[in-house]
Amino acid sequence: MRPEIRQLIDAMVGHGYVADESIATAVFLARELGRPLLVEGDAGVGKTEIGKVWARIAGAELIRLQCYEGLDVSTALYEWNYPRQLLHVRMAEAAGQSTEAMEGTVFSRAYLLERPLLRALTRAEGPALLLIDEIDRADEAFEAFLLEVLSDFQVTIPELGTIRAVHVPHVVITSNATREIGDALRRRCLYLYVDHPDLDKEVAILRSRVPGASEALAVEIARFVGALRGRDLVRTPGVAETLDWARALCRLHSDHLDLETVEATLGCVIKDQHDRRSLGANELAGMVGAARAGGAR
Amino acid sequence: MSPGARDRADLIVALARLAGGLRDAGVRVALGDELDAAAALVRIDLADPDEVRRALRCTLRIRAADVAAFERVFARTWLGAASTTARPPPARALSRPAAAGGLALLRGALATDDDRGDDAPDGGEPGATAQALYRKKPFDRCDDRDVAVVERLLDQLARRLATRRSRRWIPVHGRGRTDLRRSLRRAVVTGGELIALAHRARPIETARIVLLCDTSGSMEAHTRFLLAFARALRRVADRTEVFAFNTELVRITAWMRLSRLDVLQAKLREAVPDWSGGTRIGECLAAFASRHLRELVDSRTVVVIVSDGLDRGDPAVLADAVRRIRARARRVLWLNPLAGDPRYQPTAAGMAAAAPHLDLLAPAHDVASLERLLPYLRGCGAAPIRSLMETGRASPPGRSIDKRGSALPDPRQT
Repeated sequence: MRPEIRQLIDAMVGHGYVADESIATAVFLARELGRPLLVEGDAGVGKTEIGKVWARIAGAELIRLQCYEGLDVSTALYEWNYPRQLLHVRMAEAAGQSTEAMEGTVFSRAYLLERPLLRALTRAEGPALLLIDEIDRADEAFEAFLLEVLSDFQVTIPELGTIRAVHVPHVVITSNATREIGDALRRRCLYLYVDHPDLDKEVAILRSRVPGASEALAVEIARFVGALRGRDLVRTPGVAETLDWARALCRLHSDHLDLETVEATLGCVIKDQHDRRSLGANELAGMVGAARAGGAR
Repeated sequence: MSPGARDRADLIVALARLAGGLRDAGVRVALGDELDAAAALVRIDLADPDEVRRALRCTLRIRAADVAAFERVFARTWLGAASTTARPPPARALSRPAAAGGLALLRGALATDDDRGDDAPDGGEPGATAQALYRKKPFDRCDDRDVAVVERLLDQLARRLATRRSRRWIPVHGRGRTDLRRSLRRAVVTGGELIALAHRARPIETARIVLLCDTSGSMEAHTRFLLAFARALRRVADRTEVFAFNTELVRITAWMRLSRLDVLQAKLREAVPDWSGGTRIGECLAAFASRHLRELVDSRTVVVIVSDGLDRGDPAVLADAVRRIRARARRVLWLNPLAGDPRYQPTAAGMAAAAPHLDLLAPAHDVASLERLLPYLRGCGAAPIRSLMETGRASPPGRSIDKRGSALPDPRQT
């Protein structure tokens, strides 16, 4: 393994993110090749966290763009500060300034409201980390527009001209795969699929993020949640849920899983009433037993 | 020869061989991906096969669903058959919660809805009792005289599709709400005086629908009504695309302009090879997926397959085609005229194979059954798929049919 990748894993662990080799390799390559990284995976596997921890390691400002249906250029890229422009025009009129001079001032950078994409390009101190979260929620028109920004790292504003990136930002794009991401955007990015963690990784995450949990409890929680993920659930619990549950159990001073506590706190990991009903008391007892005994699945 | 000993030229050859193998295995790999992979390979530890594998998966954009294929090709072409270093991780197919087990039975879930719906005062609802009777008359029992009435009903039905407003605001002229930001921006020109107000409104959303109609012999009694429905849909949603298939897939969108249904059907009989013949559903859907999927289907498109699911081909081909369509579409609905029978269960090999990839399996044997589909045909917004899915899950499909079958007329008894 390249020493740089090993260092990256250590750095990520140091910042509280338990990364495996594939995540570290993907981040390393995205950084080396200067490409955006498209991260796909189920909800709650820690996709967004990759962006955040990368920003901390690189010491870069984290600029986050949360996507939603109907997201448009004026919220994502830039908008003119109309109220301020108007005020300026009024004052300049009173001072008897010429129209040309007025136009020159009003359409200048000072009157431009930078939205996340533009801010990521213009940050002067160093490359920013641009986190474009849940791209699958935005519509395709936005995806096409994003492609333009991400391929040249420049933006054209009609009144102002073309703005080029001062430093090319690191870009992480996450998707829950609720719809297929367009081929063009996919090809622009390096690709990483993040799966639910295996037992060892989940225990490591629990130990690192919930220091109050004993080793034994962490292993039991991870086994139990692992067994849950093997079932056909409407909402498969992610790492975030596991962590919530571990914190809840710690607060209740549990050292081991027992049926009573599990039943009382199961709402931390099972967040769908149909899923909850599908787990009968007997089955739950069996799963708790298996989690405590270990090995058996 | 160990991969670490390859020089750069060998590396490129090996990479090209790998990419070729992937393409043969059906994994999409673009030239740009190969270039990225080459750039990545010079930056990593080539002696570590696991690192090479990770880097290639990242740069060749191997999706979760293609991991198994990648591992096979990688082991064969890169590591060589003799190598023992290949430790392919267990392949896990990308599960799509929305599609997995997404078989929902419309009839069961909406049976109560329908009972209420008959006397509910709804603008689009046919008022005359004679029309109300037609709504429940099974298509295969309609004669020539009934066709005109049913057609009118279908037209009314389709019109109700085009009433949903989008969530987005778009600039409009002179109507809708005042758009303050744009008004202010305009006022800059006039020195800050608000003279012309700008407006914005939420546009009416037109659904995008792709209809795939089975026109084989076993579907004959239903074909003309489904064509009428297709044509009615096209009138309200002009981006509706219509295909007919039996042994071959034919795009019949252009024919839909014909005003007379009997003329349309006669034309189609000439144009579509083997009309009312046998069926190869799997092959036809696969042909649609490979030829038309990219251009016609996007995340707002609802794909409606109308077929009885009596397929003579390989169920795996059918399942794979439906899965591919589902991956791109907003929703995939399967309308099955046979499902109008309370005793029907989706046990035919083709139907059973396709069912896990469907958002909805619904009957299509009378006007009322098509009427219940409307919420699912809307491209945007959430039709109550979730609640339907729960119904589908809570009770196995077979049982839910038996239980609720009595609420609906049995087409063979009426």
